Amino acid sequence: MEKSKQGDRNSQYQLYELYIDAMYNVGMRFLKIKEDAEDVVQDSFVEAFKNLESFKYESTFGAWLKRIVINKSINHLKLKRIPVTPMDEHEFHLSDDAPEEVMEAVEVTKVKLGIDKLPDGYRQIINLYLLEGYDHMEIGEVLGISSSTSKSQYHRAKKKLIDIIKNL
Amino acid sequence: MDSFEKNIKERRKEFDVHVADRSKIWANIESRLPDSKPKVIPLWRKSIFKVAASICILLGAGALLGISFMKGTSSESAMYASKELQDIDRHYQGLVSYQVQLIEKNGQLTDREKQEFLSFMDELDQEYNELRKEMQHNLDNQLILEAIVANYKKRIELIENLLKQLNDTKIKEEEYGYTL
Repeated sequence: MEKSKQGDRNSQYQLYELYIDAMYNVGMRFLKIKEDAEDVVQDSFVEAFKNLESFKYESTFGAWLKRIVINKSINHLKLKRIPVTPMDEHEFHLSDDAPEEVMEAVEVTKVKLGIDKLPDGYRQIINLYLLEGYDHMEIGEVLGISSSTSKSQYHRAKKKLIDIIKNL
Repeated sequence: MDSFEKNIKERRKEFDVHVADRSKIWANIESRLPDSKPKVIPLWRKSIFKVAASICILLGAGALLGISFMKGTSSESAMYASKELQDIDRHYQGLVSYQVQLIEKNGQLTDREKQEFLSFMDELDQEYNELRKEMQHNLDNQLILEAIVANYKKRIELIENLLKQLNDTKIKEEEYGYTL
């Protein structure tokens, strides 16, 4: 880590080897297109290596790098005008009180298919919460919404996901 | 968290199905990074240096082999994670020990109060040692590293709170003195 800060190419490559697959998968989950994910991951590593001196061990390097990849992915989606948050904020207010359906264990492949079928805004929030392990505070920061909005939208997204999986 | 969420979170790794084109992406990254270091011009022209260097290399290789034999099975990523741990340790240990000194030097606290407070640190030490042990089992290193960072941050937070409280009471006492 310290060597990488000084620009040592070998140490940088070691970090790259360790994290490239995880980061590429994060990018693919958001962007869906191989070339886009590669671009974002490249940019993220370059930015991370150039700004290593600002990395202060507030978290692990992996978590720090992942945040860069996620921010860049979200920006990329915004540029392409793909919604990053659900648009229908007011539509489902009435159904919110309905008791949540209980869903037992399902296969990973089904969940993946279900997430792919979600509308874009819902997909980002499900990705961030379930797969990247962010809490609603962090999701709020990333998407530029409040944490309570994140919470309510996540619940709607989850409901929708469960519906989709059940009908698969 | 319901069982649906728990199930997904536990199997998060299985969602990483894509494999990156490592060499292509690295080539692009490398071309955009500033040159690492100026190239070293070899000064070892005389053969006696060459002989000395070869002996050094042989000795070094021997030592490395010996060490790796002794260590046996530690995998590369575990070694790398422990390197990151070393960096984390170096960064935080100085900070924490400086703050502990501040507490120990503080005149406002009685010895008993100091001891009581520093026993919190012992508890955190214990947790830290357990985390380190856990890491040798090579479970999820990232998670453990995060827990270790959190452990350090907790210490700093505790000490900062105590120091802040001490400063606040100091200010109050001074103000009290003025009103008299």
